[in-house]
Amino acid sequence: MQWLWDQPLSWMNAAWFTLGALCVLGIVIFFVTYAIYFERKIIGWMQFRKGPNRVGPFGLLQTVADVAKLLLKEDTIPAKADKALFIMAPALAFIPSFAALAIIPYGMNLQFADVNVGFLYYVALSGVTTIAIVTAGWASNNKYALLGGMRSAAQMISYEVPLVISVVGVAMMTGSLNLREIVLAQEGYFWNWNFLPQIIGFVVFLVSALAELNRTPFDLPEAESELVAGYHTEYSGFRFAFFMLAEYVYLYAIACLTTILFLGGWNPPLPQLAFIPGIVWFILKFLAVVFFVFWVRATFPRLRVDQLMGLAWKALLPLAMLNIFITAAGIHWFGWGG
Amino acid sequence: MFGLNLDITGELAAFFILAVCAITGAVMALNLTRVIHSVLSLAFTFISLAGLYVLLGAEFAAFVQVLVYVGAVTILMIFGIMMTRHDHESQERQRPLTEALAGIGCLALFGILFFTIRGTDFPAPAGALPEDNVGELGRLIFSGFAIPFELMSVLLTVAFVGAVMLARREEDDLP
Repeated sequence: MQWLWDQPLSWMNAAWFTLGALCVLGIVIFFVTYAIYFERKIIGWMQFRKGPNRVGPFGLLQTVADVAKLLLKEDTIPAKADKALFIMAPALAFIPSFAALAIIPYGMNLQFADVNVGFLYYVALSGVTTIAIVTAGWASNNKYALLGGMRSAAQMISYEVPLVISVVGVAMMTGSLNLREIVLAQEGYFWNWNFLPQIIGFVVFLVSALAELNRTPFDLPEAESELVAGYHTEYSGFRFAFFMLAEYVYLYAIACLTTILFLGGWNPPLPQLAFIPGIVWFILKFLAVVFFVFWVRATFPRLRVDQLMGLAWKALLPLAMLNIFITAAGIHWFGWGG
Repeated sequence: MFGLNLDITGELAAFFILAVCAITGAVMALNLTRVIHSVLSLAFTFISLAGLYVLLGAEFAAFVQVLVYVGAVTILMIFGIMMTRHDHESQERQRPLTEALAGIGCLALFGILFFTIRGTDFPAPAGALPEDNVGELGRLIFSGFAIPFELMSVLLTVAFVGAVMLARREEDDLP
């Protein structure tokens, strides 16, 4: 990371950095727009409905119309809310989600910051968003919002533990936490990708990632049948849009991380297919993960609160620990990893 | 003695911004009247400190700082505040003499620290930092510092078991 601040302070560099960030913002907003569209379409097909099909060809502009509606909506702040925190919380939720994208390597030379501890950076920032969600719940001065915020904090703290521990296996196989080196260690045929030797870690990672994203079957913080809308009950208009945006940006980040950590990043499944550029493989794997998340949402019922905590502490955590031992044994006796 | 010769580099600018953020957060944590605002300013200070660690080349310490202090400790504090009465605002009591004495004490402390730091020669670091400082940290923990590390984990386990015991006992007291 040293090169970042070894460069002279000039307007030119500042302009380049800003331009890079704006490009990522554009890509992310495009992704979020169409992720929402595909989510609705896929769930529609799975439930024998048609999904959005009125606005624009095949309903492609439905999300644009929805966002325009959110922007034009009246922005309400409850009279008894804690005003400063109520206004701050959506921004506080979005900023870390966007900052987390800085470390994702899309290709060998396509990355903003090459951080030694890439994965920890993501986990640390997602903790900041948890604070924002709790703050939003508290500042709304509404019991549903408060309950949603509390549930979210409990859930995100609980699932962060197996999430981090499930990646320890990958770090042991690679000998590094650097995301680029993790991808480089998975070169070759697709059975060299981490998801096969690390199958337990992969499953634990996927389940805890779904919980970290607050998505069905783990969307208790915003369970509409019991909590109205959870922590964003009182939010409307643009502030509500920010929470949704943060949620989908985290979906983007988690899909990228799953691709990098377990699915070989930009490596093709067979070395013979290397003539297709790496970014295409990255996007294909990324889209497969995103589809998987939507698929799970369409098919699984929601867990109960007590089952949720039990799953994290009694099933996922021991499994993640077991994975570390198996990986250590594999490295010691069978010479796995590098 | 005050030979401050500073080149404006990105590092220096980042240091000053982060330092000001850290101090602002700390001052606000002391001065704000609502408890939850104080906790959030404290979280802001923690994040700024993590930024300073990154500047020092200690990424691992920085992100663990955010993970533990911001992600866990602050949220625990917020939980504590939410569980108790949160409409309480602390009242300022006027005690001019105490405040004046505290001010003089602060200035004296600042003077001592400032002159000591300015008067010290900092030896140049023995060698360049290793490129992969996380890996180096891990190797040191499991070779040279294995025993302190194991002692720390024993301490943590004892604290953990103790916390569980205390929580269990309260549960048994319930009818």
